[in-house]
Amino acid sequence: VRRLGVDVGGTFTDLIYVDDEAGQILVHKLPTTPDDPSQGTVQGIKELTGLAGTDPSQLEQVFHGTTIATNIVIEHNGATVGLITTEGYRDILHIARHKKPLNFSNYQDLPWQRYPIVRRRYRLTVPERITRDGSVLVPLDEEKAREQVRRLKESGVEAVAVCFLFSFLNAEHEARVAEIVREEFPEAFLSVSSEVLPQYREYERFSTVCLNAYIGPRVSSYVRRLEDELEAMNVKTGLHLMTSASGVATAEGAVARPVNLLMSGPVAGVVGGIWAGRQAGYDNVITLDVGGTSADIGLAQEGRLRMKHLLDTRVGPYQAMIPMVDVDTIGAGGGSIAYVDAGGIFRVGPRSAGADPGPAAYGRGGTEPTATDAMVNLGWLLPETFLGGGMSLDAGAARRAFEEGPAKALGMTVEEASMGAVQILTHSMVQSIEENSVRKGYDPRDFALVAEGGAGPLFAAQIALEAGTPWVVVPNYPGVTAALGLLATDMVYEYVSTVYQRFSTLDAAALQAGFEELEEQARRQLEEDGLPADRILIQRVADCRYLGQGYELRVDVPSGAIDDTWRKKVRADFDDIHEREYSRRFEDSDMEIPNVRVRGIGLMPALHVPETEAGGSADDALRYERDAWFRVGGELKQVPTLFYDRAALKAGNELDGPAIVNQYDSTTVIPPGLSARIDRFGNVVIAIAVREEVPA
Amino acid sequence: MSVTEYEVGRRPGPPTRKRVEVDPITLRVLGGAFHAIAKEMAGVLFRMSYSSIIRESEDLGAGIFDAEGRELCESDSTPMHIGSLPWYIRGFLHRLDGQIEDGDVIVHNHPYLGASHSPDVAVAVPIFHEGELLGYAAVTAHVLDVGGSFPGINADAFDVYAEAKMYNALRWYERGELNEDLDRMIFDNVRTETMNRGDMNAMLAACQLGKERFLRLVERYGAEVVMSAAYDWMDYSEKMLRQEIEKIPDGTYGPIVGWLDDDARNRDTRLRVETRVVVEGDEITIDLTGSNPEVPTGYNVPFEGSLLVSCYYAVRTILLDEVTFPEHVPQNDGVFRPVEVIAPKGTIFNPNFPRACFSRFCQTQRVVDNVNLALAEALPEKVTGGNSAGIHFCAYAGFDESLGEYWLYLEVNEGSYGGRYGKDAMDSVDNLMANTRNNPIEELDMRFPMRCDQYELRPEPAAPGKWRGGVGIIRRNRFLVDGTYSCEGDRQTDPPQGVFGGWHGLVASCRKNPDTSRQEILPAKVTGIPFAAGEFIEFREPNAAGYGDPLERPAEAVREDVLDDFTTIELARDAYGVVFKDETTLEIDDGATEALRAEFAAHRNGSSLTEWYSERELPPSSAPTSTAGNVQLGIT
Repeated sequence: VRRLGVDVGGTFTDLIYVDDEAGQILVHKLPTTPDDPSQGTVQGIKELTGLAGTDPSQLEQVFHGTTIATNIVIEHNGATVGLITTEGYRDILHIARHKKPLNFSNYQDLPWQRYPIVRRRYRLTVPERITRDGSVLVPLDEEKAREQVRRLKESGVEAVAVCFLFSFLNAEHEARVAEIVREEFPEAFLSVSSEVLPQYREYERFSTVCLNAYIGPRVSSYVRRLEDELEAMNVKTGLHLMTSASGVATAEGAVARPVNLLMSGPVAGVVGGIWAGRQAGYDNVITLDVGGTSADIGLAQEGRLRMKHLLDTRVGPYQAMIPMVDVDTIGAGGGSIAYVDAGGIFRVGPRSAGADPGPAAYGRGGTEPTATDAMVNLGWLLPETFLGGGMSLDAGAARRAFEEGPAKALGMTVEEASMGAVQILTHSMVQSIEENSVRKGYDPRDFALVAEGGAGPLFAAQIALEAGTPWVVVPNYPGVTAALGLLATDMVYEYVSTVYQRFSTLDAAALQAGFEELEEQARRQLEEDGLPADRILIQRVADCRYLGQGYELRVDVPSGAIDDTWRKKVRADFDDIHEREYSRRFEDSDMEIPNVRVRGIGLMPALHVPETEAGGSADDALRYERDAWFRVGGELKQVPTLFYDRAALKAGNELDGPAIVNQYDSTTVIPPGLSARIDRFGNVVIAIAVREEVPA
Repeated sequence: MSVTEYEVGRRPGPPTRKRVEVDPITLRVLGGAFHAIAKEMAGVLFRMSYSSIIRESEDLGAGIFDAEGRELCESDSTPMHIGSLPWYIRGFLHRLDGQIEDGDVIVHNHPYLGASHSPDVAVAVPIFHEGELLGYAAVTAHVLDVGGSFPGINADAFDVYAEAKMYNALRWYERGELNEDLDRMIFDNVRTETMNRGDMNAMLAACQLGKERFLRLVERYGAEVVMSAAYDWMDYSEKMLRQEIEKIPDGTYGPIVGWLDDDARNRDTRLRVETRVVVEGDEITIDLTGSNPEVPTGYNVPFEGSLLVSCYYAVRTILLDEVTFPEHVPQNDGVFRPVEVIAPKGTIFNPNFPRACFSRFCQTQRVVDNVNLALAEALPEKVTGGNSAGIHFCAYAGFDESLGEYWLYLEVNEGSYGGRYGKDAMDSVDNLMANTRNNPIEELDMRFPMRCDQYELRPEPAAPGKWRGGVGIIRRNRFLVDGTYSCEGDRQTDPPQGVFGGWHGLVASCRKNPDTSRQEILPAKVTGIPFAAGEFIEFREPNAAGYGDPLERPAEAVREDVLDDFTTIELARDAYGVVFKDETTLEIDDGATEALRAEFAAHRNGSSLTEWYSERELPPSSAPTSTAGNVQLGIT
């Protein structure tokens, strides 16, 4: 299969092309075109297929990861949205959960008030009210609804959301208003809560459904434009887009619920990491993707992704109740700035020099010391090899930045301060790894750390030493792992509905019917996407909690009859999951299932990449021998260090630290005392001597 | 050992444990680790707890403390809890000092021995390392019921014995063994056994987790380094706060005088809250001399666990605002050190045992607001207009025959902030030390025999100002079965104060069965009053005060306010001097506006929204659910 993955990030558009049969794999990188990201995408596709000696019309699959939806939300430049909601509850979006983001601040902004998704003037109400058993207490005033829709149209909104209380139990009123919108205002982008998200918790639902409307018009026009351009290039199969739930959706499927594209950015990196880890022989992976300003950390056991807790599924400052892969993003990257604050504390980040002006060593006017400058000072980044020698580094500027900054303030040498900055950043990443592993019941000693991004492989070995993961895998193309992840995933759609059932008095028939209805929806979508029955997989998930608790945990539940065996299994699995998450189980408590979910999976053909040529010795790839600074036996000193060229390394080659491996878009550091080998697929696998005990 | 022998407000002084030098990198690393532990403890507690007051409202605090109770770190949960745990620890040490063993679990809630108030129960687990008591992992959380006279809330209680069951330094577990009889005693004597048990199990789980995490740090870095780093961070926070205090010119600011509605029993007597802020070098003193004598009800304030906490909060929030101050200054013992508090014995802020003090939140919020107002002249760019600084904290309860237990729903109704230098206020949000989450309406309706009939911004406009004040909410909640209602609330008579020409805000109100023949105006504080099935309550929460002269607000911004119903055409004219040519298009009449603004500049046309409304009807609620509910349940 000839397939292409294109991942559009904030700075770069990354592409990867794989032809299984020809055993061909190629990567490409070009600057993102922020005004219209489809331009860079199309140009990249043309350039990369050209490099591969083919053309776009020969592509069989195109997978796309885009931050366009997320950027609209973060930059506050979505559509003007109107909301039709239940009279008496006009300000659900304005009140939110009435909790401030910060405890100690009178000058903070409440983002949902400062930058409302729907301004108050466009939140119009109609009499209607469904109650907790789905019955109608206040009938819908259709005339009023029509009047309000006309008002919205006159006032120039571009999208309309319809959100009523308890519509997940009885969708009649919303459906009727949706009809009215289609009659009166057919050109508006329409987002109806019972269709987009029939799940209880009104603020989170309204917020999600309105976000869907907010991003809908721009996202769908972007997707359509891109589809047109692909068509113009004669790409035969349709476009597939990455969603936050870790799978891809067809362009049609994505446009139907653009909200599912939110926060899909970091997900592809985790999926790519899982794929790379598995290829290297590790099913349990922690992924670490470090760029210029931030680091994304994910975890997958046996290749399974974990989903975020409801309270954590945010897009920027807004709540979005959509399934999201659990990726933790922290403000630590190559551009993180090191400084000593007014109280004498040594800090690194979250402020970053970004790509512009960038680290002092880039010589683009940056004077503040960054992590990248620290690594130049330590001799890990050589001016002559940076970006394949395509960019020169100003070592003097890096040194001055530290000299005049933290080194002076702390009375340290430049090297000590530089190593300190690296250690502080390393520790904040280790802390995030621990929060996502040990603290959730996963033992890092069972995991490999997959290093991604331009800066991930610089930090990975040191992090693994601290966190206790016994292996580090640096994939062939760490800088484009996310694009690779696009090719390594299946199609995934998730559907949810609120059933609110108590376990002790379970209505098996109703629950079964609830699942089947969602399964039908999932199957239909996948069939529409053109998948044959033998490539469709349907999975059931139940959100479970102990009776009385307020938040659920996701439990994968068996398909088939809901009988005693089913109950026992679900019960036991939930107790286990609760214990893993919170270290306690309450087997005597009753349980309840507020929501059921179905994941419809369309299986994609597995991705095969060619093996790397074997033979020779690492010496053939040795390019330089220089002194670099490392901590050896607790002491910071200069040691002779070998610098290798990644492209020249062959399968089976072994490297002993201190060693540094250079490639176009990344640098791998192997500290003293550690060794690495190149596996048959070309991954650099570093073996870490792990401490006996799990760290705190 | 008698409670009255306890020396109130005594701090342990500087730490005496031997300290070693910690290198800057390790110091930074351990600082991050401390914060992570507290955060993780709180996360476990609210995510696995049962009652909505903990899991949704996060009415909890969690942290690590040294052996004398000095705070190393605390979670970012509800500020009202932050800084109270050190006093709980000193309170239980009054009885247990020298007797604490590894594996003990201590339960404590005595308001005259450090507790914030009796329903905020603390669970603490000692942390031993090589035989040395290093400190405690401890949490506090608001449990639904503590066995007082009425379910949930007891604003009008005869004494502390009537407001709650007192847990004075009880060992729930002794050396790892459950004290079974004590366990029964605790849970047999509350109305919501299942919920309290679930919540206290969650509290214990959080403490054990905190202890494990802390011990891992100790094993890795050594007790000397870890404890020294903890003390270094305290010194850091202290230094940062002192630097900011020092920038304020020395002097006495205030007094600001505010009035609380009543004491929950004697309806016509308002209670005085008088506040001075004294700055001397890098020290700041909050002086409440002149405030009301203690009251015979449960409306007194525990000095340590509540009043001190509110003063610490007020000072750090104004001076180290997390948005405008560039560094994150961790919350620990250091931020308490530069702050002194004076409240004469026998006043509501320092009552004598055994006065009840169940309900103390509104009073402490007023102290915070008074401190804010007192500092307005000195720090105009850091303060806000007068805040709602009160809540309606309600308990809805009834007996569930089928379960043989009470159902009990606690709700915190939010307030709003005053206008701010350079920007408008925050609407409909927990104010100052409150920072809870509301319960989803759909959750409330499905879980309890109640229904929320209305929940939105109240229909009255924002208090005018160059930067407008925040708008509070209107909320209607209906009982679907017979039950009782209790509430501790305030701010129904004394409006939030405007600053620099901003208008005073609008007071709160509370009505039973409004707009029906059964309508009753309720005071903010009531205890255990019966509601029949179908009866309902309405709150309107305060609109906080404006900041700066409304005549300086650009006319275009006023027009935008009209479009969003944050103000009315009438008030646009009366307060802002903005005149529209046409009430549909809202085209501004520039000439008329200029003339009217000149006239108002010479003769101010009002300064209080509450006063403005004294000549007008409050706009009615428009809530079809409420009307239909009346018909359905026969409330006419």
